[in-house]
Amino acid sequence: MASLRLLLAKPWIWSFIGALLVWLATIAFTGGYGGGGMITAALSLAVFTVIVGVGQMFVITLGPGNVDLSLPANIGLASAVAMKVMDGNDAMIAVGLLAALACGMAIGAANYLLIWALRIPPIIATLSASFIIQSIDISYGRGLQIKPPPGFADFTNWQILGIPVLAILTVVFTIGAAIALQRMIYGRSVLAIGQNIRAAWLAGVNVGRIRFLTYTLSGALGGLDGALLAGYFRGANVDIGNEYLLASIAVVVIGGTSVAGGKANVPGVWGAALFLVLLLTMLNTFGVSAGVRLLLTGLIIVGVITAAGGQKALR
Amino acid sequence: MKKMLVLGAFAAMLASGTAFADTSGKKIAFSNNYAGNSWRQAMLDSYGIVTKKAVEDKVVAAADVFTTADKEVPTQAAQVQNLILQGYDAIVINAASPDALNGAIKQACDAGIVVVSFDGIVTEPCAYRVVVDFKDMGKQEVEQMAKFQPKGGNLLEIRGLAGTSIDDAIHAGILEGVAAHPEFKIVGSVTGDWDQTTAQKAVATILPSLPDIVGIVDQGGDGYGAAQAFAAAGKPRPTIIMGNRQDELKWWKEQKDKDGYQTWSASIAPGVSSLAFWVAQQVLDGRTDIPHDLLVPYLAFTQDDFEAALPKIKEGGVATHEYSQEDAIAAIKANIK
Repeated sequence: MASLRLLLAKPWIWSFIGALLVWLATIAFTGGYGGGGMITAALSLAVFTVIVGVGQMFVITLGPGNVDLSLPANIGLASAVAMKVMDGNDAMIAVGLLAALACGMAIGAANYLLIWALRIPPIIATLSASFIIQSIDISYGRGLQIKPPPGFADFTNWQILGIPVLAILTVVFTIGAAIALQRMIYGRSVLAIGQNIRAAWLAGVNVGRIRFLTYTLSGALGGLDGALLAGYFRGANVDIGNEYLLASIAVVVIGGTSVAGGKANVPGVWGAALFLVLLLTMLNTFGVSAGVRLLLTGLIIVGVITAAGGQKALR
Repeated sequence: MKKMLVLGAFAAMLASGTAFADTSGKKIAFSNNYAGNSWRQAMLDSYGIVTKKAVEDKVVAAADVFTTADKEVPTQAAQVQNLILQGYDAIVINAASPDALNGAIKQACDAGIVVVSFDGIVTEPCAYRVVVDFKDMGKQEVEQMAKFQPKGGNLLEIRGLAGTSIDDAIHAGILEGVAAHPEFKIVGSVTGDWDQTTAQKAVATILPSLPDIVGIVDQGGDGYGAAQAFAAAGKPRPTIIMGNRQDELKWWKEQKDKDGYQTWSASIAPGVSSLAFWVAQQVLDGRTDIPHDLLVPYLAFTQDDFEAALPKIKEGGVATHEYSQEDAIAAIKANIK
């Protein structure tokens, strides 16, 4: 009982409860048919939101006003860079992934440069950066779908006993991110800056360096995500990252990370990402129209955030 | 390109002697609100090819393209107002919204400017609308499906961007087709937004709960994504109606080479931009008999001719067709009756 109460006190548990309820509702509707397939599909698709969600989480944790709005454009450009470098050739997969990572890191670093050197608020800096990135992408990719090499495409689809390998690797990555957040100097510094930037500075945290690292990390994860998305969805395109503007922020918030910064958790990003995909699964399975689907998505997200937030107030 | 234009009145090719010189001093602007996908790129390419020649041949004085980046209505409205001030004689427009731009469009009309909208059309009555017969396309999808799956069965429908006239028209056509072919039943419907990624994701989420699917009726740009979702889930490949994208037709060819896979492909040709250009030119030429709503044919490929078309489509692009002045005059004629 005590352990249950302890579990319920965790801010991230609500996203998992939401995901479970939505999944149960869906299989109740289908009479149990297809439940396993839904989990596989949810894991395959949630991976992409988790990767950018973790990057966004670190940025948001830096405190009020910190957010990376350049992720969609970053993902789009990196997907094109990765596919062009790979050029359909299996031998170039690693080089393409590195190119996408480098592209993302450069974007992240440029974001911080705008914020630091020109003293532009992060929302404006990353949003204006995203227009520049998108324009580069349009002239670089010419709006064409560039296909991944067959080996890379197969890798993104590879499953063991119905569990996507990409999801397993992402779990490993998120465990690493959780350790970095809670147990390493870098993560503790991010939390400290989010709680009180001046106090963190007085305590000897190199605020500038940590913020630079965080924006670069977010950019790098966006770049990696772009390459993986292009593999899974069989082609790079400018719009491939569009939904991750809202989704990356939504998973952070639904997952129980404080929008005001200074308080974060990694498991919630997974729970929230699964929740969002399963929600889409449920509404598609119920066969509701597009308008109702958007309406319900909004209402349910508000519901989960309220549930998670209400619990916090009790503590 | 060997294309099958679903247009009867093609042969009626006017010897009516159009007065070319009359528009040689006219300037036509193209207001476009987005360039970020393969369809829009092909649209701009086709427009560029046709108008460049028209300017060289002195049919018109200028045909400039203005693209805004962000699909936003206010940006495009401001752009249209700029074009009015710059003294263009006609504006060809792919609009961000069917009704939100009407104020700016009305201003243009009041300034004596001819406005021709296509693809993203405007409802302002003074403008011309070049629209593809999407309803017939939806109906034809089911007709074709009946040829490939004569026994009938379950269909999955992938819909386009919610709230657009195009989505409504194709959907209505598909429903009409299914009503005429009761052997088919639509057992699922998802929103694919004409986008491969969105479609693949939507199909992947609904697939586990669906019974066996014999065919997919869709709206173009979503067929390849649907094929990927079926492959990823290890489900048997249904008959997927394609939408003229290069990757769709290439996938079709791969499947055909493997086991004789059959399907059908149709979509609005991005080059319809060039048709809109010629309509604007015809109006400037002094023709007053042109209906404000012009229904034009869609571009379709069959089992027999898609392979010939495939090499001519840019890698990752979409099949297009550049319309000539004669095509436009024929299309206008077909609509006058």
